[in-house]
Amino acid sequence: MTTAVAPPLLEDTNLGPKAGGFYRHQTIWTGLGFGIFLGFVAWLVSHALLQGSNWGSDMVVTCTMVGWVLGFNIGMGTFNAPIRWMLGHDQTHEDELYAAGVGQGRYRYLKFCTDHKVVGTQYLILVMVLFGVGGTLAMMIRTQLITPHSSFLDPQTYNAIVTIHGMVMIIATIIMVSGPFANFIMPIMIGAKDMAFPRLNAMSFWVVASAVPCLLATFVLGGVNAGWTTYAPLSVQAPPAMDAFAITIIVFVVSVTIAGVNTIVTVVTMRAKGMTMGRLPIFTWGAVIGSALGLYAMPAFLAVMTMMITDRVTGTSFFVPQVGGAAWLYENIFWIMGHPEVYVILIPPVAAVLEIASTFARKPVFGYKVAVAGFVAIAALSIMVWAHHMFTTGWAPNLAAPFMLTTELISIPTGIIFLCTIGTMWKGSIWMRLPMWFVYLFIWNFIIGGVTGIYLSDVPADQFFHGDMFVTAHFHYTLLGGAMIGATAAVCYWFPKVSGRMLNERIGKVAFWMIAIGIQVTYFGMFWEGFQGMARRIAYYNPHYEAANQMATAGAYLLMAGWLVFLYMMISSWRHGKLAPANPWFAKTLEWKVPTPVPLENFLVDPVVTSDPYTWGEDVPDGQGIPESAPEPEPELVPAGQAGTSEPVDGGTV
Amino acid sequence: MSFEEQVDDIEANTLLGGQPFFSRAGGKIFIIWLVFTVVGVLIGAYAPHHLLPGLLSSEGGDVWATVVVFTVLAAPVAAFVYAVGFYSLIAWRHRSDDPDVPPPDGAPQRGNGPVTVLWLSISTFLVVVLLFWGITVWSAQQTTHPNTLQVNVTGQQWVWTYSYPGTGVETRTLELPLNRPVQFNITSVDVTHGFWPAALGVQVDANPGEVTVIRTTPNKLGSFIVQCSQLCGLYHAFMNNQAAVVTSQQFDSWLQTHGATSSAANTDADISSGASTTAMNK
Repeated sequence: MTTAVAPPLLEDTNLGPKAGGFYRHQTIWTGLGFGIFLGFVAWLVSHALLQGSNWGSDMVVTCTMVGWVLGFNIGMGTFNAPIRWMLGHDQTHEDELYAAGVGQGRYRYLKFCTDHKVVGTQYLILVMVLFGVGGTLAMMIRTQLITPHSSFLDPQTYNAIVTIHGMVMIIATIIMVSGPFANFIMPIMIGAKDMAFPRLNAMSFWVVASAVPCLLATFVLGGVNAGWTTYAPLSVQAPPAMDAFAITIIVFVVSVTIAGVNTIVTVVTMRAKGMTMGRLPIFTWGAVIGSALGLYAMPAFLAVMTMMITDRVTGTSFFVPQVGGAAWLYENIFWIMGHPEVYVILIPPVAAVLEIASTFARKPVFGYKVAVAGFVAIAALSIMVWAHHMFTTGWAPNLAAPFMLTTELISIPTGIIFLCTIGTMWKGSIWMRLPMWFVYLFIWNFIIGGVTGIYLSDVPADQFFHGDMFVTAHFHYTLLGGAMIGATAAVCYWFPKVSGRMLNERIGKVAFWMIAIGIQVTYFGMFWEGFQGMARRIAYYNPHYEAANQMATAGAYLLMAGWLVFLYMMISSWRHGKLAPANPWFAKTLEWKVPTPVPLENFLVDPVVTSDPYTWGEDVPDGQGIPESAPEPEPELVPAGQAGTSEPVDGGTV
Repeated sequence: MSFEEQVDDIEANTLLGGQPFFSRAGGKIFIIWLVFTVVGVLIGAYAPHHLLPGLLSSEGGDVWATVVVFTVLAAPVAAFVYAVGFYSLIAWRHRSDDPDVPPPDGAPQRGNGPVTVLWLSISTFLVVVLLFWGITVWSAQQTTHPNTLQVNVTGQQWVWTYSYPGTGVETRTLELPLNRPVQFNITSVDVTHGFWPAALGVQVDANPGEVTVIRTTPNKLGSFIVQCSQLCGLYHAFMNNQAAVVTSQQFDSWLQTHGATSSAANTDADISSGASTTAMNK
């Protein structure tokens, strides 16, 4: 954007030596240092006071983890601004610019940085690290299951790995789209200069980042042996690792809640002039609906894990039947979170798939309003289906039919989303770039995940399949084959904007086929195990299931190899890839109209929005453009940047 | 424009985005759809029969029938999505020498009311059929029969114990007489377990402090395995035992032999529950 009237880049502002105040001294290293220090102090104090008492080690672990999380965030600078306000100092403009990363170069990625693009990139890295951890654990599970009685892992370690694989993947998938892309891309899409609450945005990232070490610490604290669902009362008796697990969840929910509120408020209040709700790109709708659903679902997780901690640390016995508690209470609260959570994971990547399908079919999203209504219907119904996870618990048999009804009703809006996807491709002019390959893979997998889901929604059939490898295969088809492949399409699609470089699609195609085939082999192996009647989460199995398990393991290795190739492609392209033009896909949404790399505050000139971005094939001027130059100063009472004051320009970047 | 032409025009513009309904694309997609549907129906009809374990009860038969019916119902819908997907990938794919050059815009088609309504109607109809099927089968399974054999099942880390009230028999293996309705009354002494005799097509959790009930009627002779379907701690994978459906004469003599040795079984149970308590962390 080189025009005469464009203001200078904010990045080039020369900040005074004191800008940022205490932030100047805070990086991830002070965070780590202070986190370890405060964790150690908490351990020392709680150990001295409590060890030897009835609940000692649980209390010590809980205190240590809370100390670490608080210490890390204090060290990072998460609480600087509120503390300064309490002390009566306001943040100056220079302080804010420093906090947004001005003058720190690449170092800002290791700091508490309020620029939404930095936060988005940080999330992307964190998600990749989490997938690396979760994938490694998955490979260990599959290695154990090559032979019926493998001695690769002992049962306690196996159970711990099964648990942490599940939880790491749940955390990673919840933030895999709403973290990187709802932060980096979504504000630009709607013409905003940043998120509504930039500091809370940075906080949401560093809070979830501080939760990850707590989750991994479970391995050295005895291991959580109860599965990611951590059903009580088994989890109440679990080793102290369970306290670290519960703290992880509580901290994670805080992060998701902050991020969700931020996303919703941003879309409601920060849209550019002319960007009405009906003109929002479909991905924005997905991000908002997913966040709103998360705000409903996640507090239940916080509540249930708080009760879990008090059960373990203070003996409250909410969930211990032997002393008046109820295991079904735990299961209910857990799944009141657990099922909406599935759609918190799914809706944003599915919306991204629609966005990508539209760009690469060079067609408008088919049935935009119907698709939005479909997402809303999925979100609304998903809060009323939780008990289908409890069909075989024995709880409230009379509710089997109503929950069968609500569960099967969800397939109607889900079907609508399929119609919108294939309708978008109908008679399109399909441009098969890497993101589009993953869109097709998403459709293939998600259909299989959906169809196998209807067996499980049926109570008589669920009495066979519940707790069986069939369920494992089903939800991996939806969450890995559907959501995560949708997110992979999103990564490929927005990579040029995020990194400034093009992906090496030749390597990407290799990764694509390895992943595509790997998924089918792995999870068809698991369907086979499931039909034969192999239970989930078992470290040893009847030799009858051996062939199916070996098929699943072979597929899993191929799948992991595919992801490694994909990772190699991302890293090498990020370092040496071809420099990306501002709009490599010739797409119409606003994020492609700003320069790459995107400047601080995104828009040097306010965008002009006169229509939705789906004007493919229509003989009209682009309704979402950025003028070459700022509009002339206008008469009073007319807001600046309003449509009509200058010509909308297609792809108005240089 | 004649009336027929006007009708043609309206049809063309309302149905498939300006193209006549049975265009060339439509015909080819129909053929792909038919092939996928047939494949799906064949998989649905044959795969469960070969994959599912020998199902020894009417409830097990319900599982098999449900899988077949649901697959057959879902196959046309899934096949349609796949057909359009594959056809678009092959026929509508834009090929050019320079992959960086975007293809021309596609049709400015923002949606299609009639198709959406049709799609909604079909999926709603299918859901009603699924629901009707599920509720019919489920309520049929809920009926109680006279002369039901009661079996009390107790889960503990990591064994199942079966007792037959009125006989004094308490064992670690489950035997059931052929063609006699049986009611399992299931509970747990420690954590939640999942009582899963897969071949009988029923399953319910064993919850501490609660008694849950499932009913089934074995209708085939054979042996099977009872597994624990709910992760219950260290040796969850080993929490399974042999079980069998036998003739009523065999069952009676089995009861008599085990009635005599049940005190030995009790001692066993005490030992193992003691072991599991030590293995637990608290």
